[in-house]
Amino acid sequence: MVRTAKVTDKLKQIRIFPHRLLLPETAEKLLNELDSVKGVVRMLISGKNLPRKITCGPGTGMDVNHPDRIIIHVSGSAFELHVIVGEVLVEVDDESVVEEIKKACERALPFPFEMKRGYFIKSKPTLTDYGKYGFKSRTDETINLEDERILGLIDPHAKVETNLCIVKAEGL
Amino acid sequence: MAYKPQYYPGNTSVAKNRRKHMAGNLEKLRDISDEDLTAILGHRAPGSDYPSTHPPLAEMGEPDCPVREVVDPTPGAAAGDRLRYVQFSDSMYNAPAVPYWRSYHAAINFRGVDPGTLSGRQVNEMRERDLEEFSKKACETEITDWGLAGMRGCTVHGHSLRLQEDGTMFDMLDRRRLEGGVMVMDKDQVGVPIDRKVNLGKPMSESEAAKRTTFYRVDNVSFRSDKEVVEHVQKVWELRTKYGFVPKA
Repeated sequence: MVRTAKVTDKLKQIRIFPHRLLLPETAEKLLNELDSVKGVVRMLISGKNLPRKITCGPGTGMDVNHPDRIIIHVSGSAFELHVIVGEVLVEVDDESVVEEIKKACERALPFPFEMKRGYFIKSKPTLTDYGKYGFKSRTDETINLEDERILGLIDPHAKVETNLCIVKAEGL
Repeated sequence: MAYKPQYYPGNTSVAKNRRKHMAGNLEKLRDISDEDLTAILGHRAPGSDYPSTHPPLAEMGEPDCPVREVVDPTPGAAAGDRLRYVQFSDSMYNAPAVPYWRSYHAAINFRGVDPGTLSGRQVNEMRERDLEEFSKKACETEITDWGLAGMRGCTVHGHSLRLQEDGTMFDMLDRRRLEGGVMVMDKDQVGVPIDRKVNLGKPMSESEAAKRTTFYRVDNVSFRSDKEVVEHVQKVWELRTKYGFVPKA
């Protein structure tokens, strides 16, 4: 991981919106295809929650055991899916790889999808982020994060360990 | 000539399906046994007696009342059953029933029912044995496609979501799922596991669902394509707006 990495305005983001909610196998295939494209900096998956336990009604507290809440492997790293994947936000360092990303999606998705370019992931820390990470020092009031690319990838209230997967690039 | 109710205007397939739902003229598509139905409703154990909330009406000695003499109680009310509910959620991707049409169907064709209509779900409350009779009809006929609808007492999320890859509606609690080409349900409507896998039959194909749906959709049968329905809706809105508006009074 690059130390003291910052989010710059040069980076471009792409929103991939499949016409169906993805099975874990398809999500795994899509993420691996996207990861194989050179120039991808980070990816954010979102979708509907797959709860571990029932949270309301007479069955509150019972296990759900949803078959889609499984461990998937992306670029050698394993993580548990907490959502049924409905959209993927991809950040790339150069707009020239957009076509490559489209081809990767076409290889992985057996149904239509939409792609939009823009800024979808938050780039500046908010009050909650400062509450969580704090300032660098008494004199330096920038956010106390080694890698600012973490911002916007997870909810500030969520645990980093269970929601963030860091894939180390070669040579770092 | 005998009177024939005119439930809903229009000549499109959606309008015809809406009339069918209201008239209770529904095609039976699958069989679900009484025990399986009781299990997925989750209100009592299959085979057990109906718990009661009051003694049977015949034993209670009802007061003198002309209305009670005219109206026969439903079997559930006569036996003193508890009030229980069943709730359905229907996908907006061409599910057979719109929540409103489930309510019309229940209110027109069944007695002693309290339908509740929400944007993505529909709940019916009634006496327990009446509820089972109603639910059996709802579960076995074309008003429910188990791929695009679900019996969900809580956590109903799914109505407005994209469908899953297998063409079924998302269920956060995984109460029913597609297994070997048929829908199976191994939890009751609130997500508590039951002791059996209930076979709910094959889900409808996309073309079949588009044919049987009561949803107007631009990518299937659009609302604007049915001139008679548009005219009717506009007339109702006009009358509702003018109703009671008397400037001279």
